[in-house]
Amino acid sequence: MGYLNNSVVTVDAILTKKGRELLARGDGSFKITQFALADDEVDYTLYNTNHPSGSAYYGEAIENMPVLEAFPDETQAMKYKLLTLPRGTARLPVLSVGTTSLSLRQGASNEVRPQTLNYLGQGAVYEPGGYTATVADVRLFSNFVGIGINTEEADRLNATTSLGTNVSKTVIGTNISLTATAVNTLFGSRTQLSTTITFIGRDSGARITIPVTVTKPSNN
Amino acid sequence: MSFKRLDPEDISISAESVTAPVWTGNVTTLTSFFTSSTQANGTTGDFYLNVYQTGSTEDTAAIQFAVAFCDKYGSGSVDFTPGVSGFSPSRANYGTYKNQVLGDEVGELKFGANEVTSSYFYAINFERSRFKEKLLPGTLELKLKNGATTLTLTEIIPQTVTYTDAGRKYELKSNAAEEGSNLFLNSGSYGHSYPDIGLIILNGQALDAPTSAGGLALATGPYNSNRLKANTDTSGSQALYDAIVDAASFKQNAEETLSSNYIFVRARNQDFNYSSNPSYISASGELTHTLMIEDPRSYITSVGLYNDNNDLLAVSKLSRPLLKDSRREALLRIKLDF
Repeated sequence: MGYLNNSVVTVDAILTKKGRELLARGDGSFKITQFALADDEVDYTLYNTNHPSGSAYYGEAIENMPVLEAFPDETQAMKYKLLTLPRGTARLPVLSVGTTSLSLRQGASNEVRPQTLNYLGQGAVYEPGGYTATVADVRLFSNFVGIGINTEEADRLNATTSLGTNVSKTVIGTNISLTATAVNTLFGSRTQLSTTITFIGRDSGARITIPVTVTKPSNN
Repeated sequence: MSFKRLDPEDISISAESVTAPVWTGNVTTLTSFFTSSTQANGTTGDFYLNVYQTGSTEDTAAIQFAVAFCDKYGSGSVDFTPGVSGFSPSRANYGTYKNQVLGDEVGELKFGANEVTSSYFYAINFERSRFKEKLLPGTLELKLKNGATTLTLTEIIPQTVTYTDAGRKYELKSNAAEEGSNLFLNSGSYGHSYPDIGLIILNGQALDAPTSAGGLALATGPYNSNRLKANTDTSGSQALYDAIVDAASFKQNAEETLSSNYIFVRARNQDFNYSSNPSYISASGELTHTLMIEDPRSYITSVGLYNDNNDLLAVSKLSRPLLKDSRREALLRIKLDF
């Protein structure tokens, strides 16, 4: 006879930059109402279904790996969320933006409309909750807004401005409208600037990151 | 799909009292005391002496407390302006602490059951970061030595606590006085402890009393000795500091209330068994491992706490990946301190 293991795993949480901002704002927006789980560090190719010791050891490499400490940058944490789906699901939702990369000339505009594949048994859908889009360096765009979702949160994010420094910006919409910067000084001696945009389905949790390049014409 | 709402009972707020010695390194008794000549010889040195646990130029040096001499008539320190008698740092100290404790400018500090007033006293002011939230009553043990005489001062913890403008107040007694006997001198108690503001006031007259009367014969008072009778003598703070150094024993604990949010995160057996991790699926969304179609499994490494707008407010990490499948439920307790 042995003792049952009735221990509860206890872990300490840290506030993110966004959490500190909302806590300081004091308007009630710092209210924890939901949670998500993630596995950012896990490489599932380490799940070895050919392990000679059998199925109990398939996850040996993953289960013994160390985990990185939490990042306070909310854009770098909880990237790959765990999903609740019916058992037997063979395909998970993935995002498509119709291209694997974006290239814009200086001052040019574009509009991206993400789609979700394999969501709720459908081939391709536009998620009703829309998509969040996060550009890693907002300086590359004079205009970066979400269109099509008219919630308070979406309006607030679209209205947020960041000045001067290399910071990210997140917007919400069904369509993401962007205009490449016309500022020459940002290029210095370079002819191209690069960054990334990450799209996340607000209903499905699926995400995709694509590289973006802004090119300065030679006559500018 | 990837978010799960918390029930109201999943979140609880806990207030936990944490006590520890006030001294750097959590040593229970501070036995070595140092001042800084730079501070003592500067303008603030006219008001108080900062006391360190090690030489003030050492890397680990940290201010533990300050000692100050306070006199109603300004004795024990040099006048701010020559010829304007009585307006000096010791008088400023006197007003500062009296205002803080009494809340008015006309009252007098009263020591002991017989409420003896004293026109001068010493203040021991604990560094804020050392006493954190408040001192823990009943843990003070301050030894003072002058010549061959040593006093060990502790707090009297009464049935009913006295409250002042500075919060709780406890009278100080010498351990030489036994319970039930006369705990107070003719000059009153040895002083007060104000744990809520990290302050100890020592009755100047009690410390100046002769040893035969229970005092320390410190002889700093301008009215019963010759030591500080002129407004040019600055040794008030130094006299108490010397008595602390000679006795070499100071104990005091602090108390802090830590408020924590505990969030209980429950992942039911059918929840969170798939992952959006790119190594979990191919580019088209098909599972990398086909055996996970009928037996989905994932690994938890992070827990994110969100508001209704899906803003990530706090994040916590597990020490190692935790397997999650349809045969397992996970109960995680997330501690969030403010």
